[in-house]
Amino acid sequence: MSNTVVQCEAVSKKFSKSLKKSMLYGAWDIAGSTFGVMPDSNRLRPDEFWAIENVSFELKRGESFGIIGPNGSGKTTLLKMLNGIFMPDKGRITIAGKMGALIQVGAGFHPMLSGRENIYINGAILGMSKKEIDGKFDSIVDFADIGDFLESPVKFYSSGMYVRLGFAIAVHCRPDILLIDEILAVGDLKFQSKCLKFITNNILKNGCSVIFVSHNRYAVEDVCGQVLYLKKGKPVQIGKTLDVIDRYLTDIKNEENEGQKLINGFANEEIVKVELLDKSSQVRSQFKTGEELRIRFHYAFSHPIQNPSIGITFNHDDPRYTLVSSTDYIFNLHSGYDEFEVKTLQGRGYFEVTIDCLYLPVGIYQYSVYLYTDNKMNLARKYEAAGQVEVLWTDNRPHRSLIELPHRWTRTEEGVG
Amino acid sequence: MEQIRVYEPHKQLKQGIKIWKEMFQELFEFRGLIWRLFMRDLSSKYKQSILGNAWSVLMPFVAIGTFMYLSHTGILDIGNTQMPYPLYALIGLSVWQIFSIGLNSGANSLVGAGDLITKINFPREVLVIASMAQSVFEFLIKFIMILIFCFIFHFHPSLKIILLPLVLLPIVFLTVGLSLILSLLNGVMRDIGNIVSLLLMFLMFLTPVLYPVPTKHFLFFQLNLLSPLVSTPRELIAFGHIRHPGHFMVASVLSVLIFLVSWRVFHLAETKIPERV
Repeated sequence: MSNTVVQCEAVSKKFSKSLKKSMLYGAWDIAGSTFGVMPDSNRLRPDEFWAIENVSFELKRGESFGIIGPNGSGKTTLLKMLNGIFMPDKGRITIAGKMGALIQVGAGFHPMLSGRENIYINGAILGMSKKEIDGKFDSIVDFADIGDFLESPVKFYSSGMYVRLGFAIAVHCRPDILLIDEILAVGDLKFQSKCLKFITNNILKNGCSVIFVSHNRYAVEDVCGQVLYLKKGKPVQIGKTLDVIDRYLTDIKNEENEGQKLINGFANEEIVKVELLDKSSQVRSQFKTGEELRIRFHYAFSHPIQNPSIGITFNHDDPRYTLVSSTDYIFNLHSGYDEFEVKTLQGRGYFEVTIDCLYLPVGIYQYSVYLYTDNKMNLARKYEAAGQVEVLWTDNRPHRSLIELPHRWTRTEEGVG
Repeated sequence: MEQIRVYEPHKQLKQGIKIWKEMFQELFEFRGLIWRLFMRDLSSKYKQSILGNAWSVLMPFVAIGTFMYLSHTGILDIGNTQMPYPLYALIGLSVWQIFSIGLNSGANSLVGAGDLITKINFPREVLVIASMAQSVFEFLIKFIMILIFCFIFHFHPSLKIILLPLVLLPIVFLTVGLSLILSLLNGVMRDIGNIVSLLLMFLMFLTPVLYPVPTKHFLFFQLNLLSPLVSTPRELIAFGHIRHPGHFMVASVLSVLIFLVSWRVFHLAETKIPERV
């Protein structure tokens, strides 16, 4: 027995767009298979389309595999095929080992029954015997952290408790392969990071393989060794996590840029443009951590304004980062509070603020720009999500940490022997 | 032990006779789940009702009362039942309801499971069988009522009553078999659920549930598969012998056949259902 637990060979799946036709085809296929006729599954009938087309990959024991892609790209359909809920119309999937799936947590929870009863039912659905559940019961309750609600009907649960309980049951049934659909998003950030840690530190370490679908690129980065990028059912790229995520983000950026032409980012009057420049005054959108960053705010005022000041805030696109601060942003700059005073402003020109060393956590930052008048009392203009900048890790450091700080090493000798 | 599963198009068709082994194995493996689902439905069904399980006993009395009234006023001539009518009707109705309640809930079991079907992989037969178990459980409650009735009317049931489970088996097989097919169809066409409730009402009046088998149109009742399946358990309780063992045997064999064929079809088609539910 080789170490391959999941093998997906040129798998395709078709769906029908029309409900009536889908029912008709369903009835037709059932009738056909009853009498031993194999319907021709390679052909698309009217109103049908390929929801998944020609997907191949291999997953080994203890490895984790991510699937990313925009909504409707077929991620969940692929998971359902891996779980055997749907049969592929073409290709072949081979699964070696026990499969646990979290396609929708709490599927099969009965709203009227208590958490305790549902643990036993859900466990049985996932293939656990009563004895097994008895043994793991305390551990499940502990992990789910539902407290006094154990004996209450689950319909009184918050959606977070629902997810926690579902996740706790699923990971305790000790699967060889665990499928996780975008479900953790429902839980709060504390639970999300708990789950991600549990996946990397417990599940993967125990030799269980994980297939992980998420829109949170940082979660995918943390968990997955390999990633498949799906778009409209077709595999765009499969490979190393960071490479594939880069490709995905580039695609999103390109699509956004196409759309942006229609939106008036900045008005002709007031602040007309924001530019990010490096040391040599080149406009860039990617900076390495530790580099110099200059932000230039171009303005144009036909009327004079009094005591203007400019602010800018940066949000990290991974919401977990904002958890650490009570504000909604990672950091902000404000000319008024920096006591950079300007009496009146008219005509064209630009403000510039220089950050000597951009020691920020790696990631994509959205920035918003604010224009105040009358000594930072009066918010005149707010440019929400005016643009974004990506902070990259410096190349020469193999181990990533949250932030880097300016530092230097010295050595002092205090004698010999 | 390493279990290896392969998913590919028309996998089930390629297996041939081996599929039966797989079907029985799957069912055996998930017997615990059947029990759990049965207990789940049982405890959730009456959680928000005050009368609770009494509802399943209350329903037959309404029907029996109506028939007693119709017979008493002479609107309807029920004929000679050879035992107190309320008892006769209660036994008949209890056996009939194994079929009617089982079929009704069985036909809706896949559609009603919703998320379970589309999000989790397990043999779907389990859902149909668990809803059947519900119907059998309700029969057990009614059976206690039957014994109480016997006592009230000073009627001594035959000792052969212990063979009752055996003669009830065919109607259970028939119900599960039909439920399997109907639940599939219901997944594709929601009309089926309504059609089933409608047909069940007609069928009840066309089957000797609340009246004895008339001697005149005997052929018609012979063709009704349910007719011997309902009367035989009653005859067994009341008199300890079966009047038409031949009919009963034929009906039993047919029921088992229907069950096996339905199960096979169900197993072939069950992967198509999550896509449509």
